[in-house]
Amino acid sequence: MSGVGILALLLALPVIGAALVMLFPRPPGLRDVIHIGVAIAMAAMGALLFSALQHHQAIRLALAHPLPGVELAFAVEPLGALFAVIVAGLSILHAVHTVGFVRATGTQTPARMMAFITLTAGMTIALALSANLFTLFVAYQALILAGAPLIQDRNPEDEGRAARVYLTTQLGASIGLFLPAVVWTYSLAGAAEFRAGGVLEGLVDPVSANVLLVLFVLGASMSIVPPLSSWINASSGSRWPALTSIQSLALAPAGVIAIVKIAAYVFGPALHEASFAAHALLVLCGGGAGLAALIAISRQDLSERIAYVCAAQNLSALVGALLALPAGLFAATLQVAATCCAGSTVIMACGAVAAVTGRTKAADYVGLGRVMPWTLGGFAVGSASMIGMPPFAGAWAKLWLITAAAGAGLIWAAGLVGAAAVLTFAALGPLAANALAGTPPTDAFRKPDGASIFLAAPIVIGAAATLSLLALADSLATFLSPVWTPPA
Amino acid sequence: MIQYYLDLARAHAALLAVALPFFGAALAAVVGHARAGWIIAVVTELAAAVIAADLCARTLADSGVGLVVAHEGLAIDADGLGVFALMVMSAASVVTAFCGLAFFRGAERAASAFSPSLMLTLSGAWSGAVLARDFTTLFVFVEVAWLSSVGLTALSAYRSRGALNGALRMAMLGGVAAALFLLGLALAERALGAATIATIASQRIGAPTMAAAGLTLMLVALLCKAGLAPMNAWAAATYGKANGFATLAVGAIGAAGAMFALTHLATAALGAPAIGAGIGFSLSVFGVASALIGSVQAIGAGNIWRLAAYSAAAQMGCVVLAVALGSPAGFEAALIQTIALCASVFALVGGAALSGVDARMTSLDGLGRRAPLAGIVMTAGALGLMGAPLTLSFLGRWRLVEAALGIGWWWVATAAIVLSLAGSYYGGRLIERIYFRHATQSLSEASDAPRWKFALAPALLAAFITIASAIDPTLLLRAASAASQMILDRAQ
Repeated sequence: MSGVGILALLLALPVIGAALVMLFPRPPGLRDVIHIGVAIAMAAMGALLFSALQHHQAIRLALAHPLPGVELAFAVEPLGALFAVIVAGLSILHAVHTVGFVRATGTQTPARMMAFITLTAGMTIALALSANLFTLFVAYQALILAGAPLIQDRNPEDEGRAARVYLTTQLGASIGLFLPAVVWTYSLAGAAEFRAGGVLEGLVDPVSANVLLVLFVLGASMSIVPPLSSWINASSGSRWPALTSIQSLALAPAGVIAIVKIAAYVFGPALHEASFAAHALLVLCGGGAGLAALIAISRQDLSERIAYVCAAQNLSALVGALLALPAGLFAATLQVAATCCAGSTVIMACGAVAAVTGRTKAADYVGLGRVMPWTLGGFAVGSASMIGMPPFAGAWAKLWLITAAAGAGLIWAAGLVGAAAVLTFAALGPLAANALAGTPPTDAFRKPDGASIFLAAPIVIGAAATLSLLALADSLATFLSPVWTPPA
Repeated sequence: MIQYYLDLARAHAALLAVALPFFGAALAAVVGHARAGWIIAVVTELAAAVIAADLCARTLADSGVGLVVAHEGLAIDADGLGVFALMVMSAASVVTAFCGLAFFRGAERAASAFSPSLMLTLSGAWSGAVLARDFTTLFVFVEVAWLSSVGLTALSAYRSRGALNGALRMAMLGGVAAALFLLGLALAERALGAATIATIASQRIGAPTMAAAGLTLMLVALLCKAGLAPMNAWAAATYGKANGFATLAVGAIGAAGAMFALTHLATAALGAPAIGAGIGFSLSVFGVASALIGSVQAIGAGNIWRLAAYSAAAQMGCVVLAVALGSPAGFEAALIQTIALCASVFALVGGAALSGVDARMTSLDGLGRRAPLAGIVMTAGALGLMGAPLTLSFLGRWRLVEAALGIGWWWVATAAIVLSLAGSYYGGRLIERIYFRHATQSLSEASDAPRWKFALAPALLAAFITIASAIDPTLLLRAASAASQMILDRAQ
């Protein structure tokens, strides 16, 4: 199959998979096979695209031509391919875990949840592979709409408010801020096809650059930047598999992916023209990361605590993207990869604990590691990565972030990232330590057989992936170098 | 022989496209039978649509050759914008006529017998209005169209006495608008020394203030008939209380006809150096006012039809803003947005009729599960109102923002964005109810579900295709661009 065919299949698979899962909700075995099978196929397609790119194959797919000079097009470039592979690869683990969770808890409307989990992963991949700003905007809007049922996926009594907060914030920010920035960029640059070096390079004056940067960061970051981030707390009541998609695999990371792509391919060196806005946004993101980690400490409910910890991680990644340095962009990319792996592992572990023990409060985790060693071991590894503890992936991402911030002469930004990491340690470190070292509870499980292989295996593999990123950092730097090296 | 008559018909295609619905209307009124009237309406509108499509293709296909202008006895001009509008309205009329069958069942005999006739009159009159060569012809056609709209609304009184209230409001406000139009006509003719629309720009205007005042009054009258806020006191009552057929005729054909007629007149007036700037400013004020007031009204609307009426006012405000820009890109945006508005009305009314929901917002709760097809169509309509990406209204708004930025009108671009934000709120509210709420009312309780649902199929399909046509709108953009360019060339 040609590269374009693989790309088309990768984009179509989530839609087909979601439709199939909705069409065949029974028997559960068939539904689960479709859900996992589609995730495996997506990961295979992602890997093939990654491999094709490594062999310098140019792959571009134009689906429509909705406006003069504007295409709905997707292209495989290093940044997008990397994000696509990470999301597609982790989707397999997430799919298996979702099946385990659904079977362990007897969740209602599982087909709908699975369908929208697949769709959000697909839309995130589409966003990562978008070839221009218009396509990025379309994929972003589609992701917002596909994510709404996951936010809604909870107890009926409080489902309306969460979806309303989410949709109002996301649609408001994307239409009110992101869309004007897209049209403005098109009017400045004529075309907004992503390219290394930035489409705005040499075309934008400082005032426009500053305003555009603010519009893009507040409008296209999935509203994770304060003061738009109220939806994060509202979303924390979703069921655990939905929460994985929302916080660590699709929605929130997609905002960072969009900003990294915009920083690399729309601004490029032109980001220096927007230094005033960039500094203000660095304060907002760095301070927001610390604040989110601080709020996380105060939360006993684990879904809320993890939601804020993930928000802190994603905001730290935004700090890297705003540093206007190749090292900053690389740090942001590593941070997104690390957050996806570690965040998914931690949330899946919490989901497994909730499914088999019914425990959702931090205080109830004491000693659970003695009776659920694999699950809580994975939780500890994921937490260590998010804290930034060597040798896990998060450590290298944070090291790069601090180095890049210092390299840009912004020691205070490095300080903000460091403070957020320390506060994240306070939120997760004692929790993991108590879970592993405390006295085991006598009535841990609802059912005597504990967590199934579907629940435990993805957590262990996720934790291993978190560790393996350590070995890949150098290769990734080489692979991504074309992103910040404009063609001669 | 046949070829001769065919050529003759093609030479007078514009006249035929306008006159055919009137003949059909007379025939349907004489027959006085619901089913026969429906067949006459469908056949007549289909014939008119074929003629309009052929005329449009011939006129716009090769805009570089020059204008194809036909002066007819009724004083109509088949210029680029006119034939484009004629084709769009003929297509909308065919679909509306076909839908009739779904709404006539269960209606009073008088209502079902005379509705097709009035609908045909409305369609023919608005077609005449968009092709009008002079002010007087425009006035006559607009008033005929308006009176048939009032009649069509009043015929829905069997369903709800509130429809009479709507018709009364239409008659009163329409009367005021007619008086304004006549006053404006007199002032403009006096100031310009002629009443031909196409030559406004090339006239030597002795009294520019009087001319601008006269033209503005005529434009205001058209704005009132289109239902722009705050002159839309009739719209909510009409949309909410009339039956689906009248709502489609008034909301889709009527509103589109009024907007096209306004665009036609405004294009000619904006090209006149002495008065263009003033009229452009006036139009932009009306556009912003309608967009903002309509959006606020739609956000606060308590039932589906009020929401549809008010959101239509907001969308039309956007169309007027695009016209006010006075550039080819602006006119293009106006034409596209008018079509998008038409499609959204079809989707909302058709979807509601298909599922049998009533005016209450709560009747939409859980519709996506109760009636998936209707849910999809209404969602497409809501997305159209929101201006969601890959819908036609998004394309229209993108062109509007581009055109506004192109001439430095930042505030127009801002107004368009604010309108999109408001649209995402009220359109999102519809979608939220359709998919994210549990049903509180079963389909069997629905009171007004039409039995001949198959007749809605063309409307639903047309709405869906039109809204989704933004995926590859090359043909539409080319046609809109050619129409705008031709009318501008002519105005200069």
